[in-house]
Amino acid sequence: MLAFISRRMAAAAAMLLVIGTIIFSLLIIVPGDPAELLLSTGGGSASAEAIANLRANMGLDQPILTQYVTFLYNTARLDFGTSIVDNGSISSVIALRLPRTLEIIVAGTIFALLLAIPAGTAAGLRAGGKFDIATSAINALLTSVPGFVLGTLFIYFFAQILGWLPAGGYVAFATNPAQHLQMLILPSLTVGLHLATMVFRMTRASVLEMRGHDWVRTAVAKGLRRKRVVRRHILYNALGPIITVVGLQLGILLGSTVLVEFIYNWPGLSGLLVSAVEQRDYPTVRAVILTVAAIFIGINLVIDILSSLLDPRIRLQ
Amino acid sequence: MTPSDCLNPTRRSVLISLGTGVVALTLPQVTFAQAPASVLKFGLSTFPPTIKPFDNTGGAANTVKLMLYRGLMGYDATGKLVTELAESVEWSDPTTAVFKLRQNAVFHDGSPVTAADVAYSLNEITKDGSTAYLKSDLKIIAAVEAVDDKTVRIKLKAPSAVFLDLMASYCCPVISKKSTDSEIIGAGPFTLKGSEKNVYIEVARFKDFYLADQPKVGGIRFVAYADENLRYAALEAGDVDLIEYLPWTQFDTVEASKALKMKTTLGPFMFLLFNVTSGPFANPKVRQAVGYAIERQDIVDAAFAGRGEPLYGFPNPRGSKFDLADPAHEWKYDVEKAKALLAEAGYANGFECRLLATATYGMHQDTASVVQAYLGAIGINATLHLPDWGTRVTAGKEGKYDIAVHGTSGNYNDPDALWSLLYSGNPSYLQSFGFKSARIDGLLEQGRNAVDPDKRKAIYQQLVVAYYEEVPQVPLNWRIQAYAMKQSVEGFEQLPGFLSGSSGYALDETKFA
Repeated sequence: MLAFISRRMAAAAAMLLVIGTIIFSLLIIVPGDPAELLLSTGGGSASAEAIANLRANMGLDQPILTQYVTFLYNTARLDFGTSIVDNGSISSVIALRLPRTLEIIVAGTIFALLLAIPAGTAAGLRAGGKFDIATSAINALLTSVPGFVLGTLFIYFFAQILGWLPAGGYVAFATNPAQHLQMLILPSLTVGLHLATMVFRMTRASVLEMRGHDWVRTAVAKGLRRKRVVRRHILYNALGPIITVVGLQLGILLGSTVLVEFIYNWPGLSGLLVSAVEQRDYPTVRAVILTVAAIFIGINLVIDILSSLLDPRIRLQ
Repeated sequence: MTPSDCLNPTRRSVLISLGTGVVALTLPQVTFAQAPASVLKFGLSTFPPTIKPFDNTGGAANTVKLMLYRGLMGYDATGKLVTELAESVEWSDPTTAVFKLRQNAVFHDGSPVTAADVAYSLNEITKDGSTAYLKSDLKIIAAVEAVDDKTVRIKLKAPSAVFLDLMASYCCPVISKKSTDSEIIGAGPFTLKGSEKNVYIEVARFKDFYLADQPKVGGIRFVAYADENLRYAALEAGDVDLIEYLPWTQFDTVEASKALKMKTTLGPFMFLLFNVTSGPFANPKVRQAVGYAIERQDIVDAAFAGRGEPLYGFPNPRGSKFDLADPAHEWKYDVEKAKALLAEAGYANGFECRLLATATYGMHQDTASVVQAYLGAIGINATLHLPDWGTRVTAGKEGKYDIAVHGTSGNYNDPDALWSLLYSGNPSYLQSFGFKSARIDGLLEQGRNAVDPDKRKAIYQQLVVAYYEEVPQVPLNWRIQAYAMKQSVEGFEQLPGFLSGSSGYALDETKFA
């Protein structure tokens, strides 16, 4: 078991090294000089001397190999360094922003499950009925509307027309809980609706499939109440694939919140990445991508280890 | 939630979901729907990358800087040059300016603004290793002397017609000599209260600002909205009181609105740049042909929703002291003339080229599309290249284009403000790649060093001709720039012309009705 765990951990570390190297190389290849960009944001032109001075301050005048070794050494010590744009600590910015991205994802997921599982179950149980046709049609419509369109419509309707909710932005929960929750509604609804369409489809299909199994017929024949049949014999078995889909989607959501955060001005990790790429803030870009990659790899590692505990055959594969 | 709840979607769970939503919607909304009158909420177009006092890192940064720092000179809301931390300025001879500092001007730490602080600040700009925006401009200073605590004498190496404008720049504030890299002490109307990177910056009224009745609000909270439509939506929803860079597509809505209003100026302008190192565009006749080939009103209509004006010749800013209009040296739309010039240059059948713009800014992209169509009409087949802004800047600097779209503004309303776009001593992505003209450089130098207005006007009239003949750029149009705000916001004015970017000065007098 110990050998299995250490093998997996070594593989995870190797993967992070590869990802780090790829990001480092890509950023070297991508055109755009951070010093020049920073000093030309205003549409003005900085002198060559000022740009050279800033490049030196940013440490960009060092040979690439030196930069790479420094990057690896610091990353191995979990030191992400400082932003070359404003000298702020990158680790503290990530620590501040990661929970906000996760907050949207968690709130969106809860909303999706609350909406889609009951609706999908009801549609599956009454397949072909009015409810099924109506919800499936709405689901098809929502699936085809991209998140940024939905977000723009929400802002227009709820903020500009009705004035019920703010158009976007962020206030910390500790500062003003009510306003924080109001600002959370639209972004998590946008993320959640997209997830809900998938969960709905999966739930409906699963329930439909389970409904036809022998054990369900037997349960009904035994005279069990309909509610119990559905709960214990259909839904319980249908939840497996649903949980798998939700799990897979959570990883994808971490990436897809970029647009949602942008639309609603929600200052999460994705927004940090976008602005860092725009400003060619290399250390911040590397740190954010490595953090997200580490989360993915970490989740996989935990799943592997848990699975191997439950099913020893996995360790031998 | 139990599985049995899942079976009643039309009853309990739906009611619970609805109930949660309704409760959330009825939470107190006072904080953003009814703004407390003391703090002005300002929607910025981007979060300032830095607010280092002497660097130029964009319009948003410059507005925030003007709240925290002030210089010897400044502008009033009409764009008139006025004294700021200085009480008066006198020229004892054409190269010596004597500034008397205000007795009651103090820094945020309570210490008085002294001549030594002025000398320290100017030295920080010009010292070796500085990244200051005005470093090369201020090399004109020969010496800064503290006559006494409140009197500064600045000697210049040559007369300068724009020295006082430079002293009014948002990149030339006076900071305390006690400043450190981590704590810069200014003497602006507000002090820094708090900020979070990429989210907000909040400033609070500085009670000891030298003008006792200003600023008129208790503080300003700057919130960054990178997306222009969200910025507008935030204003309409009441999240903010005032926004910069109102999207052109919303001008009509704001004009029709009873709750909102806007302040506009014809400030920045759009133009074309060329790679003149090789190929057809090395020939000024071809560049001239491009000048005649484009119907500029179409760009105004397509890229700026009709809010702007065609620009046919030298971009002399609005509010300039000189009238340099010269119809004999302008490029009015004339396809036949364009074709004839192309034929004269040996390209009667046209040619292929790369047109560089950026997808980051819709106005650049839309302008490029119209230009592409008009160039096609005279046989110049341009392929659009629309990278992100960072790549665009590098491509421009390295000359990786044949023809490029650009838009910018100067810093003050004087022809000299075009120096950085035309003077070949400091090549950048703002200039045609490889373009050098001793004639234009000479005229710019003469114009800057002459102080007699009539003499300057004559010099700039020659510059207009040189601009037309040598074609360092092809001007396209002026664009209207707008700030939009709630009706209740009073006293804010957009500074005219190239001074649009200095409109932060007008926040001193901004208040709620």
